[in-house]
Amino acid sequence: MKDISRRSVFQIIGSVPAVAALTGPAASAATAPYQRKVFDDRQWRTVHVLCDLVIPTDEASGNATAAGVPEFIDDWLDFRNREDGNQNFTAQILGGLQWLDSESNRLFHTDFAGASPDQQKQILDRIAWPARAAAADRPWAAFFSTFRDLTVGGFFSSRVGVADLHYLGNRAVAHWKGCDPKIWTIIEERMKNGYKGVGGEVKPLLS
Amino acid sequence: MPHGKASPKTYDVVIVGSGAGGGVAAHVLALSGAKVCMLEAGDWYDCTKQSHMLQWPYNAPHRAARSKEKPFGYFDATLVGGWQVPGEPYTNAPGSDWLWWRSRMLGGRTNHYGRISLRMGPYDFKSYSRDGKGFDWPISYEDLAPYYDKAEELIGVFGTKEGLENTPDGKFQPAPAPRGYERVMKIACDKLGIPCIPSRLAILTQPLNNRPACHYCAQCGRGCGVNANFNSPGVHIFPAMKTGNLEVRTGAMAREVVVGRDGLVRGVAFIDRKTRRDETVNAKIVVLAASCCETARIMLNSKSSMFPNGIANSSGLVGRYLMDTVGSPVGGHLPLLEDLPPQNEDGVGGMHMYMPWWLYQQQKAGKLPFARGYHIEPGGGRGLPGAGALGGSDHILGGGYGVELKRNLRKIYGANIYFDGRGEMIPNEDSYCEIDPATVDQWGIPVLRFHFKWSEDEILQAKHMQETFQQIIEAAGGKVLYKSGAEDNWGISRGGEIIHEVGAAKMGDNPKTSVLNPYCQAWDCKNLFITDAAPFVSNADKNPTLTITALGWRTSEYIADQVKKRNLAV
Repeated sequence: MKDISRRSVFQIIGSVPAVAALTGPAASAATAPYQRKVFDDRQWRTVHVLCDLVIPTDEASGNATAAGVPEFIDDWLDFRNREDGNQNFTAQILGGLQWLDSESNRLFHTDFAGASPDQQKQILDRIAWPARAAAADRPWAAFFSTFRDLTVGGFFSSRVGVADLHYLGNRAVAHWKGCDPKIWTIIEERMKNGYKGVGGEVKPLLS
Repeated sequence: MPHGKASPKTYDVVIVGSGAGGGVAAHVLALSGAKVCMLEAGDWYDCTKQSHMLQWPYNAPHRAARSKEKPFGYFDATLVGGWQVPGEPYTNAPGSDWLWWRSRMLGGRTNHYGRISLRMGPYDFKSYSRDGKGFDWPISYEDLAPYYDKAEELIGVFGTKEGLENTPDGKFQPAPAPRGYERVMKIACDKLGIPCIPSRLAILTQPLNNRPACHYCAQCGRGCGVNANFNSPGVHIFPAMKTGNLEVRTGAMAREVVVGRDGLVRGVAFIDRKTRRDETVNAKIVVLAASCCETARIMLNSKSSMFPNGIANSSGLVGRYLMDTVGSPVGGHLPLLEDLPPQNEDGVGGMHMYMPWWLYQQQKAGKLPFARGYHIEPGGGRGLPGAGALGGSDHILGGGYGVELKRNLRKIYGANIYFDGRGEMIPNEDSYCEIDPATVDQWGIPVLRFHFKWSEDEILQAKHMQETFQQIIEAAGGKVLYKSGAEDNWGISRGGEIIHEVGAAKMGDNPKTSVLNPYCQAWDCKNLFITDAAPFVSNADKNPTLTITALGWRTSEYIADQVKKRNLAV
């Protein structure tokens, strides 16, 4: 029996995406203008502003709207509604957007999208940390957590977001070597000395 | 169709189903010289032509997320299948909540399964003798060991020799090196006395029989474009077709086994899904491998004057002792893994390390409140970002927005880990399937009604999983992100949810208390055999596919041998 050489494997792999290339709606979606399914004009404006408050441009990549996140969220709400038949998911988002405008009008006499960055920050700071939110603000904190997840998921699963995360897979690797020894050295150092991360502190695990 | 059409001739063997059980039977029988016809309800599938490998979620509808049509996501290899199949319902008796996954395609579930390939151990065949619960198998580990060898050598399984209790080693290819988070898990497990060893998956790390080694894209579930993982079409069926002895008929929805006046089976009646015509394949031997519940359904629907309760059902046990695997998940965050330099952590499509059950002696000594064990399947790492990427970040970061959030999200990417238990369910009297007297599918075939109940053994096992997984996360200096407690039965899965259903036509050494003899031959009908998981007597924590393959190989060899000895008329 003849073994297939690595070279021929990579020739086969190289041909796969072409053979299995997407056709139909998915392929044409990139070029056709997006047709909104859920948000009205006012909600659409708010969603754009809110997405970019969650994921703004920084030194490494652009903002959420540049990555197509509003379109992702609109499509996602429609999709999950059809798939799960759970109207409450969309209701939470629409209800939250409604509250942002109501609250902004009550405090600043303008819709949320038209408020100043400082005014927007005043409102978001009340709802962006669920554990700190006042009892009366809890529904809006829950809304914002959902909206944050949608924005974050939409951004980091986009082409821009995948590059931002330095996800290095979804490719053929000739020789799998396991964890990079230089990176393992860092992990071992942390296990010996302890480590303080943004998601918690670790006491030394190894003597 | 390029793959042949059933002709009016009489075949030596007709096989219903093309998954792990049907595939191995077709392979062994066609290579032994028998003329075989295989019926598959779904369409043709060849992963080397139809794989979605190496595509990006951002180029797919809804970022390739799960849907009713594609419960494992847009790129999953499954053509038509899921816990619901359009036009093919099933029902639950009051109080039952069983889920039944079906895969309507050539190769069935072997196209997208996890490729986890664990041998059952000596204890697993004699569990009743060990703890007085369930049943003993009519065969022992020694009976099946040579067939595990053959199966592993054909399909290709990686692993390491460990010599652990009731965790037999096999004929392994080299195991891939662990990922960083898996090495951390091993250190945490070492502290707790839990074994953490290289996993055993049916994915090639070295070329085998013209199949290349894995290229480590982690997407086995999409179907491998180069056939580097085990799938029934690529490994069993296509090579068998090359002998000229196997014809495959797709779009053939089996309805019943046809019986002659002599009480022997004559073939299988099916409905052509395209023409909606009834047809029959005549054969001297019938092998059912339609997946255990579908096999039971076909048997129960095969009623005749000789078999008024369904074929080969004089014991009344067809449909009985249906089992699934106990599942329960916990997830956590490891600050240790935050903000590391990027690296590719894809690897093979699944875990590189796992934790086999380790408390056999404590259990024997009566120190655990439940019978039977589980293994642990871990996950984590810098996976391919999909629609839910970095979801639930407020549970790690407390919340936030803006540039600070964006920077923190980059730091926590790849720092979450997950554990899923996969545990043994003991067969019980309350878990079975039967024909629903009032419901049919779109083919006019009466459907199954399920009864299902976990016992206290399974629920307490799920509790033990929860406690253990949380200990591992804490031992690695992490914090638990999601867990379950008494209020939700310790996160125990729904019956059928883990898609490890086995049983429903048990083998045994007594025709009164079993459907099949120790060669998976029907006691009541000598030319009827079963090679899927229906003959299983217990459902050890060792995922079923490798045992289906080994047991099906043994049964198929027995069929060929009986034909040679003229005990079966072919």
